[in-house]
Amino acid sequence: MTENPRALLWGLIAEHASRHDRGVSVASVCAVAVASEGVSGAWVTAASGQTPDVIMCATDPVAEQLAELQLTLGEGPGLDAQASAAPVLAADLEADEPRRGWPAFTPGARRIGVGAVFAFPLTIGAIRAGEMGLYRDSPGPLTAKQFGECLILADAATVFLLDGAGGDVTRGYNGVNGKALDLWPPDLARHRAQIDQATGMLTVQLGVTAGEAFVRLRAYAYARDRRLADVARDIVARRLRLDPDPAPDGEP
Amino acid sequence: MDSELLSDTFVDLADTMVADFDIIDFLHMLTDRSVRLLAASAAGVVLADPRGELRIAAASSEASELIELFQIQNDQGPCLDCFRTGQPVTAADLSGPGQQWPEFAAAAVQAGFRTVEALPMRLRGQIIGALNLFRASSGPFEPADLRVGQALADVATIGLLQERNLRRSETIAEQLQAALNSRIIIEQAKGKLAERFNLAMDQAFTLLRDHARESNQRLTDTARNLVDSATADFPPRPAGEVSPSTGQPQYRQPRYRQP
Repeated sequence: MTENPRALLWGLIAEHASRHDRGVSVASVCAVAVASEGVSGAWVTAASGQTPDVIMCATDPVAEQLAELQLTLGEGPGLDAQASAAPVLAADLEADEPRRGWPAFTPGARRIGVGAVFAFPLTIGAIRAGEMGLYRDSPGPLTAKQFGECLILADAATVFLLDGAGGDVTRGYNGVNGKALDLWPPDLARHRAQIDQATGMLTVQLGVTAGEAFVRLRAYAYARDRRLADVARDIVARRLRLDPDPAPDGEP
Repeated sequence: MDSELLSDTFVDLADTMVADFDIIDFLHMLTDRSVRLLAASAAGVVLADPRGELRIAAASSEASELIELFQIQNDQGPCLDCFRTGQPVTAADLSGPGQQWPEFAAAAVQAGFRTVEALPMRLRGQIIGALNLFRASSGPFEPADLRVGQALADVATIGLLQERNLRRSETIAEQLQAALNSRIIIEQAKGKLAERFNLAMDQAFTLLRDHARESNQRLTDTARNLVDSATADFPPRPAGEVSPSTGQPQYRQPRYRQP
């Protein structure tokens, strides 16, 4: 059995962050995507409700232009990915155009030398955090392994975006000793349902959106040095309720 | 065996190259037809997520879903062995002594199952998941039923792996992610309902599913409306969108023939 790909990639993200002396963030996720997944560049945008999405990071000018192009034109793979909650894999921009239907985005992207675009929605169920976009200057699909790893990177970017929006959780992790990893289990599939159920329960207990509920769940686990999966299990078993008003010391 | 239903099922399983294909509907159809055709009490499908994890994609009942989840969580059971080896795996008397997967056997019996058959979903070298058949009574499935079950799994696999580039642009890899996200939405909605009305999770699911059926909405849409809703009221909003042309609610037609 090879090493768990989720643990491996979170390790690379943490390593990148610590090498640059900062907390883990979407910038580290984009850097790992470029280093590991055979793409030329990456960007992340954050969904912001009513207003247009906000570009959080881009690894190079072409990536930034692709993100801007979509926001300006209101069309493109990232917007389709967010609408369908599914990745959009345009492995050959020119050949894919007729079926994808981005009459303005595709020529614009090709003019700046882009051959393929892969867009990943940053979603957790009903929670919509934004988009992760990757591009390559030459056309060609992601391999199955690259595709799976990109999904894991998108999971990480989703969590970092939500934490950033929700306050001070990111401040706590320095990407050291796999601390961030503990807050998003490497064997996520085993704990998936209870984490999602606990998130839904917290929307009622705390009177907040699902996105905020998820951040509060993680913040609680972090502040008490407990595993996310264990906290979620206690909430689902109704052994634990979270208080709508955080304590004065800032702990949730 | 209902031969008319069997031939209809093969047609439906092969018919994936259509504009309104929905992978969750498709896999639920596979589990429902497996139950009706193969003398099974329940059936479930697990698929490999490209992240390197097995995920439950469809189950004909809550009990079978729990047993699938138990196998994934405890990393043991016929379904996992089937997925790893690509071979069918039989557990024909789970209440007897000397069980190969003791914890799994206890959980299955607790859930009301004494026989499990796991059939691989594979095409050439690629194993994409497993179709699992559950039965309340002890004793193996009939060999003829298992041959049909494997054929259903094979045809479904071919259907899923077809390169899909006709009218809808998504490949199966893309669609599967949307389907897995739908399942997350449903779990979030179950949590919200369970907390709001003090229900067990399976009661919350029943409430959610019944409302979706009564209002002819997709389960995912009902769940998303509930989670997105600022209040915890249920039902979250009136059923069906109003059609701009007729002013009547637009209901989604079931794609597969109902019994």
